[in-house]
Amino acid sequence: MLHLLEYWAARLALFGVDLLPPTAASRWAAALGSLWWTADRPRRRVAISNVLRAGVAGNARQARAIGRGAARHMGMVLVESMKSALVLDDPERLRVDIPDDVAAVLEDPDRGLIVVSGHFGNWEIAGQWLSRYKPVAGISRPMNNPRVQKLALERRQRRAFRMIPKYDPDPGRFLKLLGDGEILALLVDQHARQGIDAPFFGHPAKTHTTAAMLHLVARTPLTFAVCRRTAPMTFELTLSPLIEQQRSGDRNADVEAIVRTLNSLLEEAIRRDPEQYLWGHRRWR
Amino acid sequence: MDSDGASEILARLRDVLRESAVEEHDWDAVVAETPIESLGFDSLTILDVLYDVEEEFGIALDPKQVVKTRTIGEIIALLQQNGA
Repeated sequence: MLHLLEYWAARLALFGVDLLPPTAASRWAAALGSLWWTADRPRRRVAISNVLRAGVAGNARQARAIGRGAARHMGMVLVESMKSALVLDDPERLRVDIPDDVAAVLEDPDRGLIVVSGHFGNWEIAGQWLSRYKPVAGISRPMNNPRVQKLALERRQRRAFRMIPKYDPDPGRFLKLLGDGEILALLVDQHARQGIDAPFFGHPAKTHTTAAMLHLVARTPLTFAVCRRTAPMTFELTLSPLIEQQRSGDRNADVEAIVRTLNSLLEEAIRRDPEQYLWGHRRWR
Repeated sequence: MDSDGASEILARLRDVLRESAVEEHDWDAVVAETPIESLGFDSLTILDVLYDVEEEFGIALDPKQVVKTRTIGEIIALLQQNGA
């Protein structure tokens, strides 16, 4: 029943999106995000608790404001991802800052690249923009609601950006695509049951190690992406200089060093714009 | 393939697998003909094993070559080509 409600809420949002010009559509989606914040009490409680634990709000009132802002933001992310063509080809709407060492990798068709980010800003715009250089594979866990998943896949612009499943019987698939000079895009801020404990806002959080291990084993360059919204349908995409970790022979220590760096870059982005982060996920368990 | 050398590499590989792999397996039963896909690795656990194999043998393997291997014997041959 809940899945059906979510599906029709998504359809309603899309109806508004299709009728309205982009900026108005974005505001419409933000209003729906706000409505969702009011309706989804369990998620709201998780978000407020996370904001307080992260220390980005001084009190519960501020935490609620950030949480509501984040809910509005997530509504906008959905719309922006579906209207991304307007952003991707307009330098007024997407300002990009890429360091020289990353640009050299992007422009070399034989070199793969690992691009890491979190559920911050609009990560989909980042992935779609990067696919102008080389194919981008993003790892995704299927949405809990298959109806909404199908709808979302139908509506998002793709270019050379494709989603690949989190689980696959081929253990060499990441090595293959990086070896073919593609980009592997990973979001590393969800609870990772088999990950390692690494500090996130000062508290240990089970964190994914795939990006770190691929960097160490495939020796593929690694960068961190932040795509923050600066105005409705307007973004600033920044890639970090290449993150390089020399192998010490201690696998766990090497992985932890990389993961700590990635978490710290994500924290930096979140502290700057806390209302652009997905706080509703149970990151600390 | 140098059979003595290959046997020694196989023994060392078994030790690495025993130490690194989180999968339950009878590692003593692993032979040159064992298909890699039968060992139950996923796209993450294979990376842990590869890291440890490279450290054990003090070499760097080309991932493009690694993904072409289908059996433990082919991994052994790759290690030998790289100076193991």
